[in-house]
Amino acid sequence: MSLKPPVGVQRLPRGPDPNSRGFDRSSPRFIALCPTSIPSSASTDPGIEEEQRVRSELRERFLRTLLMMTDKPVQFNMYEKVQVPARFGASDIDILNFHVSDLETPLGVQKEALLRCQDVISCSFEL
Amino acid sequence: MAWYFAICLAMCLLKETSPVSMAMRQTPLTCSGHTRPVVDLAFSGITPYGYFLISACKDGKPMMRQGDTGDWIGTFLGHKGAVWGATLNNEATKAATAAADFTAKVWDAVTGDEVLTLAHKHIVKSVNFTQDSKCLLTGGNDKMLRIFDLNKPEADPQEIAGHTSAIKKALWCNKDQQIISAAEDKTIRLWDRNTAETVKTLSFETSVSSMEYIPDGEVLVITYGKTIAFYKAHSLDLIKTVDAPASIHSASLHPEKDYFVAGGDDFKLYKYDYSTKEEIESYKGHFGPVHCVRFSPDGELYASGSEDGTLRLWQTAVGKTYGLWKCVLPEELTSENSEALYCPQPEIKA
Repeated sequence: MSLKPPVGVQRLPRGPDPNSRGFDRSSPRFIALCPTSIPSSASTDPGIEEEQRVRSELRERFLRTLLMMTDKPVQFNMYEKVQVPARFGASDIDILNFHVSDLETPLGVQKEALLRCQDVISCSFEL
Repeated sequence: MAWYFAICLAMCLLKETSPVSMAMRQTPLTCSGHTRPVVDLAFSGITPYGYFLISACKDGKPMMRQGDTGDWIGTFLGHKGAVWGATLNNEATKAATAAADFTAKVWDAVTGDEVLTLAHKHIVKSVNFTQDSKCLLTGGNDKMLRIFDLNKPEADPQEIAGHTSAIKKALWCNKDQQIISAAEDKTIRLWDRNTAETVKTLSFETSVSSMEYIPDGEVLVITYGKTIAFYKAHSLDLIKTVDAPASIHSASLHPEKDYFVAGGDDFKLYKYDYSTKEEIESYKGHFGPVHCVRFSPDGELYASGSEDGTLRLWQTAVGKTYGLWKCVLPEELTSENSEALYCPQPEIKA
C-alpha cells in the first residue's frame, strides 16, 4: 500500500512558557477586554482612583516586605498547626512558592525547600 | 508532471472532504504541556478573537489554548488536586473547573485570575455555564447537582438530589430550562430546573462514559461501552446508535451533523458519517486511551485529550489550509520556500 503524503504544517502549536502562567497582557484580546481590576467599585468613579492608589501602595509594601525578608530568619505559620522557622530566599513571580533554606522541621533541618504559599497562613520576622 | 500539479491544485481548492482526504494523510497537531492524563476538554463559542479551548488534567493545572492553532494562552493555577472537568463560557471570558480538591472554581479567562471558589462536600466532576454565564451547574461524587448564581456567590446553591451514585457529567439543555445529568448509577436523568424534579430517566446496562449536548437541533450524544448513541434532548427519544470496534470514552457530533468522531480504549480516533453510520476513517496518534473528544464550534477541527497527557487537533477536511495546517503543492516541497513548512516524518507502519 503506497503511503499518502502527510498534510504539511507551518509550525507546531506553541507550548506553555515555563516562567509564567500566560494570559499575555499585550495580546489584543487582553487589551480590549481587560476589566477594571476592581469589581467591587465598578459603580463609583472617584472611588476607583482612590482604591487603585491604596491597592498600589499595599502591593508595593508587600513586595518591599518580601525584599526585606530575603536572607532573614522567618517563622512560617501554616495549616495543621505547623510552625516552622527557615531562612527566606525568594518568592516566584506569582507568589505560589517560597524558596527557603535551613527549614527546621520535626524530621530535621531541610537544607533547601519550597514552601507552597497556599499552605502558609502567616509569616513573621525581625526587622 | 503538469497533470499531477493540476490535480493537486484542484484538490486543494475543493472544499469537500472526500477527494482531499483520499490524497493526503492526516497530520494531528500535538499540544504538549500537561504532565498527566487529560480527562476533559471544552471549546468556547466563536468570539471576535477566534475560539478557545480549555483542557482539564489530572496534574491540577487546566490550560487555555487558542482553538484553531492549539497555541497555549495560559494556565489556571490554584487547584490543589486533579481537575476533572473544565468549561468556558461562549464568549471565552470566563472559565470554570471542577477538581478533586472538593472545589469548583470560576476564573477570568482573559487575565487567568481566580474569581470564585465554590466549596463542595466531595470531588467535583462537572461544571457547565448557562448561555448567559449567570449560573454555574456542578456535579460530582456527592451525588448532588448544584446551581450557583454567580452574581450572588455567597448565597447557598440550589441543590437537586436524585442520583444514587457519583455524577459524571451535568449539562444545561433546552435553553437552560432543563438539566441533563449522567451518573455512575447507570442512569441519565432529565430535570426541570425550576421544579428540581426528574422529567425522564434513561437506564443503561453500563455506566455512561460521556455526554455532549448540541443546542442547535437539541441532540444529545451519549457513549457507553462500544456504543455511541444519539437522543433528542427534549424527549430523550433515541435517534440512532452506532457501535465502534473498541470501548468508547467520548464522542462528538459535527455542528452541521455531517460527521461524528469518537475515541476510547484503543487509542484511535474514529470518524463516522452521521447519516449512514459508516466508519469513514480511523486515526492513530495518541499513546494512550482517548478520554475526551470535541468538535470545534466551526466544525473545521476536533480536539482529543488522552491518558498520554497530550491534546491533539485533527482536521475535519484533511489537507485543507486552516489554522496551522497548510495545503502543500508538490513543487513547494522542493522550492527554496520549503524551510518555512514543517513536514512531519511519515510514520512507518509495520
